[in-house]
Amino acid sequence: MLKKLLKKVYSKKPNVPEKSSTEDILRKEIQLDGNLEQTLGFFKEIYSYPDNQDFVIRNIHINGMSKKAALIYIWTITDVTLIDQHILTPLIRNNSTSSKIEDIVSIQSVDTKNVIKDILPEINKGSAALIIEGDPQAYLFSVTNFEGRGVEKSENETVVKGPKEAFTEKSSTNISLIRKKIKNENLVVESLTITERSKNDLFIIYEKDLANEKLVENVRERVNSLQVDAIQNLSLLEQHIEERKFSIFPTVLYTERPDRAASFIEDGYIVLIMDNSPACLVLPATFWSFYHSSEDHYLRFHYGNFTRLLRIIALFITLFTSAIYVGVVTYHAEMIPPDLLLAIAATRERVPFPAAIEVIIMELAFELIREAGLRVPSPIGPTIGIVGALILGQAAVQANIVSPIVVIVVALGGLSSFAVGDISMNFSIRLTRFLFLLVASLFGIYGMAALFTFGIFYLVSLKSFGVPYLAPLTPKYVSSGDTIFRRVLQYEMYRPGYVKPKDIKKK
Amino acid sequence: MTKQKSLFKMLCLLSFLLLLLSGCWDQKEVEKMAYVVAIGLDQDEEDENRVKITYLISNPEVGSLAQGGGAAGEEPPREIISFTADDFITSRNLANTVVAKEITYDLLRILVVSEDFAKNKKFLRWLYDATKEREIRRDIKILVTKEQTSSFMIDNQPLLETRPHEYFEMLFNRGKKAGMVPSSDLLTFFRITEADADLFAAAYGTAQQNDNSSGKNKDPEQAIAGELQYGGETNTVQYAGSALFKEGIMIDTLTIEETRLMFLLHPTENPVAILTNLPDPFNEEYQIATRIRPNGQVKFDMNLKKETPSIDVTVPVIIEVLTNHSGTNFAKDSEKRIKLKESFEDRITKKFEELIKKTQDEYGTEPFGWSLVARKEFLRISDWESFDWMKTYPDIEINVSTEVRLGNFGRQGEMLNIKDVRD
Repeated sequence: MLKKLLKKVYSKKPNVPEKSSTEDILRKEIQLDGNLEQTLGFFKEIYSYPDNQDFVIRNIHINGMSKKAALIYIWTITDVTLIDQHILTPLIRNNSTSSKIEDIVSIQSVDTKNVIKDILPEINKGSAALIIEGDPQAYLFSVTNFEGRGVEKSENETVVKGPKEAFTEKSSTNISLIRKKIKNENLVVESLTITERSKNDLFIIYEKDLANEKLVENVRERVNSLQVDAIQNLSLLEQHIEERKFSIFPTVLYTERPDRAASFIEDGYIVLIMDNSPACLVLPATFWSFYHSSEDHYLRFHYGNFTRLLRIIALFITLFTSAIYVGVVTYHAEMIPPDLLLAIAATRERVPFPAAIEVIIMELAFELIREAGLRVPSPIGPTIGIVGALILGQAAVQANIVSPIVVIVVALGGLSSFAVGDISMNFSIRLTRFLFLLVASLFGIYGMAALFTFGIFYLVSLKSFGVPYLAPLTPKYVSSGDTIFRRVLQYEMYRPGYVKPKDIKKK
Repeated sequence: MTKQKSLFKMLCLLSFLLLLLSGCWDQKEVEKMAYVVAIGLDQDEEDENRVKITYLISNPEVGSLAQGGGAAGEEPPREIISFTADDFITSRNLANTVVAKEITYDLLRILVVSEDFAKNKKFLRWLYDATKEREIRRDIKILVTKEQTSSFMIDNQPLLETRPHEYFEMLFNRGKKAGMVPSSDLLTFFRITEADADLFAAAYGTAQQNDNSSGKNKDPEQAIAGELQYGGETNTVQYAGSALFKEGIMIDTLTIEETRLMFLLHPTENPVAILTNLPDPFNEEYQIATRIRPNGQVKFDMNLKKETPSIDVTVPVIIEVLTNHSGTNFAKDSEKRIKLKESFEDRITKKFEELIKKTQDEYGTEPFGWSLVARKEFLRISDWESFDWMKTYPDIEINVSTEVRLGNFGRQGEMLNIKDVRD
């Protein structure tokens, strides 16, 4: 019923006057016929020349063939020096009469197309199109040069020991970063155009002798079935391809580390890369992939497992501390050791709110500080820190708004929430914490136990691209046993069985 | 469709309200409770069917340095009220005529009973109210006081442990480790009373010092609470020895020494270390200070199917010699060590025998928890019941022996030869 209702609400089309683009579409179907003037006219119309400032038509005369020609490109996304030295100069200085264009121009890749519709996307991607009088086809030279930044250190998934480089917004760089780690001819980089208007490209990367074909096909299908005008980057794509859009838990892993992406590919997973995203998506993702960090494996066995232990403790502290405090103080006072109980009772004596309200106030304050700290321009940043820590913590206690123990409880929970590095999992845990807080203030520990049981049911029922969310812990699969803790590298002998790799044993 | 939509909204709202309204019903805010740490039970002077209840209520603000608690420096650490009630369950409401906060037994640590009341036949009925009350834990302690509990509580003014629950907890922990008072759990009381075989030993304490007793010249180990003479500036309350309950009624008290012997004979309750003096076999003038520790489990060899049932008990202990006034060098002389060991064994065994004889003759059963061991000798419960431990115990032939292992002889083995110094 809920689904039906929601569909009803969202599928209504607003009544806004629209303009038909049938004429434009028809024009793009036209084949080239060798008439230079006419063809240029079409292009000028399509690109709104001369209103469109960065669209360039360079008319030339090819000497040897003694033909008129025009080079069309968008200068902001092309390498102008490359055009100048390797296309224009050879063409103008050409003296031989019969040589083919491919032999005159010294550009890496040359392609020919003869329908306008096919030429346009190439130009939009930064190619230059050469149209010659009397030649019913266009020569496309790949001279793309999109602006972007260089490879930098990863900022959100930092490690102390291990590679520091991170993905950038340029897909070619990102693919190169992966190829640098997997020098294998079986590494396939499939390319797909997934949107209709903006023609966003998506790269599906996997090792063809590892990744399960059905899985690859599943991903391909799901990506192809998207009917969207534009998907600018992976963060948006993630929301388009995930199965349960209203689920509180993420089912696609978003990572900015090429080394992590490469190790997932080597295990038979599939990685998606797009322009404009300084990251990649890893499919399918289990709960553990959000809980792990790449450093767990870079550190030696004990050190890595120690951080894992800290992280799982931190996870539960985040989930439960404030809820347990509220539950125990309001329903199960007999559980608290007497000294602590008296201390809590003493500090709460003058606090005007019930324990639940008190904790919710502090939790909200903490989330506000965190959100404000994230959005604040960096010169003002330290001020927020001082205001947050001093005013909210110290002053609230002195003013008897909250008791000091609550500040400890909330600060501990807040601090621990940072231990889970993945932003999506971080959010889901923080939100679940509020659910726990709510049930604890209504039903005490009983409510928490009920919600936890329900939550486990839910986690077990989740799937990401057909893979159970808690695999390989439950259901059990052949795997390297890399869940809460990891094994010694030599004993991590198998690839995860739940992605059904073609080769299960790592040599 | 809009109708359906509003219905849906209504359902959501209703289920949310259901959660909100059904939650919170048993909510209790910690700061709105009055925490009773000790309950005193006395027989009401006028009405036999009523009891006089004494509450010792802890003030949470005392001893807390936390901010926000407010200035608690002026407030006393505790509040004591006494009043007559039908039982200590309904008394919770009666107390609210005086105390502003809701009374809770969450922090109840000790149940204090006056000796008079404990010897009353009706006492057991009131004590069993504790099994009904959800907030009372079974691990709370029972203390029997010589005087009325109301005056005991007022006189009990610990100087250093301001929080009452802390005082009682530490006192009982320490008392048990040193073997001065039994552990005296409420649960054990119920178990022993219901098993109807052993004696229950409760802690014994008082705030009255006996001035007229011969305590000054007496061996302190032969004393019970109230008989030891303390000087100085301290709390007048003493906890020492134990009160014995047979079938839920108090019958007698045990001295410190008897309590300690009871601990050593007990198969499960072991003291950590007993510091005591034993006579020096080499010079009757002197006593040797020793530390006695149990050395493993007490061993039993029970033969209950015979006409005269017999029990052989072996108590293994380690004895460390702490002082040596006679100057004998035990560490270097094995013969002297053997003599010392034998003398210890004789001495302790004699004490054991005296105590066991007393239990057989006077009490008819024992406080050592032996019935639990004896029970294992029978295949069926009915066999055990027809054996009737309480009836048979006085006739059982009991042989006690002590297995002493000598431990250290102090940090330095050799003693100063006083004769050489004074020549």
